[in-house]
Amino acid sequence: MTPRPPLARALLRLFAVQGSYNYERMLGLGVGVAEEPLLRDLPADGPESPYRTAVARGAHFFNAHPYLAGLAVGAAARAEHDGAPPEQVERLRATLCGPLGSLGDRLVWAGWLPLLSGLALTAITLGAGWTAVAAFFVVYNAGHVALRWWALQAGWTHGARVASALHHPLLQRGVAVLGPAMACAVGAALPLTAQYLAAPFEIWARGVLAAVAALGFIALRWLPGRLTGLRLGLGLSALALVVGWLWP
Amino acid sequence: MSPELTIALLLWGTLVGLDLVSVPQMMIARPLIAGPVAGAILGDLEAGLKLGVVFELLQYDILPVGAVRYPEYGPATVGAVATAHASAGVLGLGLGTLVGLLTGLVGGVTIHLLRRINGRAVQAAAATLESGDPRQLARVHVAAILRDALRAALVTAFGLGLAWAAPPLLGAILTLRGITLLAVAAVAAALAAGAAGTLRLVGRGPNLAWFAAGLGGGVLVAGVLR
Repeated sequence: MTPRPPLARALLRLFAVQGSYNYERMLGLGVGVAEEPLLRDLPADGPESPYRTAVARGAHFFNAHPYLAGLAVGAAARAEHDGAPPEQVERLRATLCGPLGSLGDRLVWAGWLPLLSGLALTAITLGAGWTAVAAFFVVYNAGHVALRWWALQAGWTHGARVASALHHPLLQRGVAVLGPAMACAVGAALPLTAQYLAAPFEIWARGVLAAVAALGFIALRWLPGRLTGLRLGLGLSALALVVGWLWP
Repeated sequence: MSPELTIALLLWGTLVGLDLVSVPQMMIARPLIAGPVAGAILGDLEAGLKLGVVFELLQYDILPVGAVRYPEYGPATVGAVATAHASAGVLGLGLGTLVGLLTGLVGGVTIHLLRRINGRAVQAAAATLESGDPRQLARVHVAAILRDALRAALVTAFGLGLAWAAPPLLGAILTLRGITLLAVAAVAAALAAGAAGTLRLVGRGPNLAWFAAGLGGGVLVAGVLR
């Protein structure tokens, strides 16, 4: 029987899974660091011991959404404990990269995060101030930590057959609900933030703001990749400085 | 700004910069949090909220997937709030955003450089990593986190340096119309980036109708509140 694994220690280390992010191994080293406490029960005598070879494998290339990396950490560690051949462990890690990246991006970067950000923006424009900021932080991280913990536990529970965990109904339902909710929340936040930020402007400046924002939006949609929000902001600021200087 | 406040902002900016990628990714790097906390440190929550909202909208333009390169708006928002606090009213909004954008640009470049340096460190330690030495693995990992902390501190210091220099320099030569136009440019860019970034996330599928419904609701509430 497999002894009780130090999942809490692995979870703590997962918060720094991207700490050594690089273009060679991406999250690989961070995954190796997080997996190491789960491998300590393996025989560790000699340089070619199962423990040492498993630690080395754990730090190989890996890329996925950071919140779901725990799934691969738990699954790979469990597979090592179950005596899976090295090639199978490597294959398992490689197979998980794509699905974990895609699922995490849809669930968190394109769902949970912009949904709560949109709600917080709306609340701030309606005068909620600090309460909105604190609520965003607490609610977002409640979901964040729960997702990390679930991923690690699911990985450890299912081991090499972890793919089935990705079909969990809550995940599928989450992706289906968060997309529309995010779209609605951010859609509502945009006009309210426009009104909030334009409040100190005179009438003529509000007209200029509406025209420039519309043109900027069209330019960003027209030239995706080449024109970014940063470039647009810097370009418009430079133009404003020149026009303000020529037209005192 | 007193040395105590500068140190507090530097520490906050460093934590914010670390949070973005390295540890713990709890979204204090999000301008929505980085801005108001910087404002609270300075005793100017209003400036923190305003600049936080501006950079939160700009953040929608970024989807941090894979190895994509992007500007870093966390420490940038700290610098922007410090600038806005040192300037008055509309000047603070425009000048703060300009300082934040420049800091965000520098932050993005340093993240790319850090990843390359981390790559070299991993290559240099490849043999010991392949031997499965857990101490060496932890050493390479922790060193990379410390490098990121140093990077975040330097980026924040750059932003605070601009916050110290920009208001007296630009505030003195800008006319009232120039000040307003700068603020208009900042808000326009933020709104355009926010809308374009959101539509990229929403796509052309069924979520577009939800976006339109939200937009309609927002317009309605904004009309009622006016």
